Amino acid sequence: MEQTTAIARPISAEATHANLNRKFGMWLFLSSELLIFAGLIGAFILTRRNIFQNGQEWWEPNTFSLALVSINTFILLASSLMVVLGIEAIRADAQRKLQRYLVLTAILGAMFLGGQAIEYSLLIFEEGHSFADPFGTAFFTLTGIHGLHVLVGVIWCLITLLVARRGRFSSRNYTTVEIFGLYWHFVDLIWVIIFTVVYLTN
Amino acid sequence: MDHHHDQSPAHRRHTNPVLVFGILTIATLLEVAVTLFHLPKNVLVPILLAIAFVKAGLVAAYYMHLRYEHWVYTVIFVTPALFAVFLIFTLAV
Repeated sequence: MEQTTAIARPISAEATHANLNRKFGMWLFLSSELLIFAGLIGAFILTRRNIFQNGQEWWEPNTFSLALVSINTFILLASSLMVVLGIEAIRADAQRKLQRYLVLTAILGAMFLGGQAIEYSLLIFEEGHSFADPFGTAFFTLTGIHGLHVLVGVIWCLITLLVARRGRFSSRNYTTVEIFGLYWHFVDLIWVIIFTVVYLTN
Repeated sequence: MDHHHDQSPAHRRHTNPVLVFGILTIATLLEVAVTLFHLPKNVLVPILLAIAFVKAGLVAAYYMHLRYEHWVYTVIFVTPALFAVFLIFTLAV
């Protein structure tokens, strides 16, 4: 077991209860988020179908740099693995390991956002696509809102890292990390669907 | 709810997350590979969506630990998930 500087506080019954409530609330929040994304993905599919049927301006399927987006998908999947390994580390009271995994998660999340920024700049500045056309609106709304979720996740990860550096987590008190993990995995789960619907079935 | 295992390090043994990551990566590569075969849309789209939903299920079950959590969490999350799967599948296929 790693040497730690943990402020190991015994967890009270009230705190345990509060943690369970937070976790329950997080699952409810994620369920509502799931419905929001289902609506956005559904709207994207309908918009794409209408554009195709009406012969409106259409982004050719090869417009997207599939390689870049596939790498981004791999990056997000890898970041999820880092979170899982971080939670396993804190379950074993390995605080430094948890911090390392959180740093890696934040870096991978930032890399994903960087990849998305490159993709957007290619689409807008090199290929001349617009936010304003119907396909652009559907595409940028869906992928942009997801990107915003990743950004929130990266900030949340850094805050969790700061708390972890103060030695606040232990094998008996890691619900905060777990809740952050739920959010991060959810963002990953949604990307799995977006990747298929937006990029592979286009 | 009976949650006394939630804070305990002595959880049920979890599936190796690296193995799950490997499966997710292979499934992603498989998805990209399937698109190279230029299959008819009514064949390609259901195959791709099926792979994507399996991947999403793996993330929920093993990364979000839904498989090891109290059944209430599963009901909370799977109910809207089923609606989402139905909606996306119906619209896309």
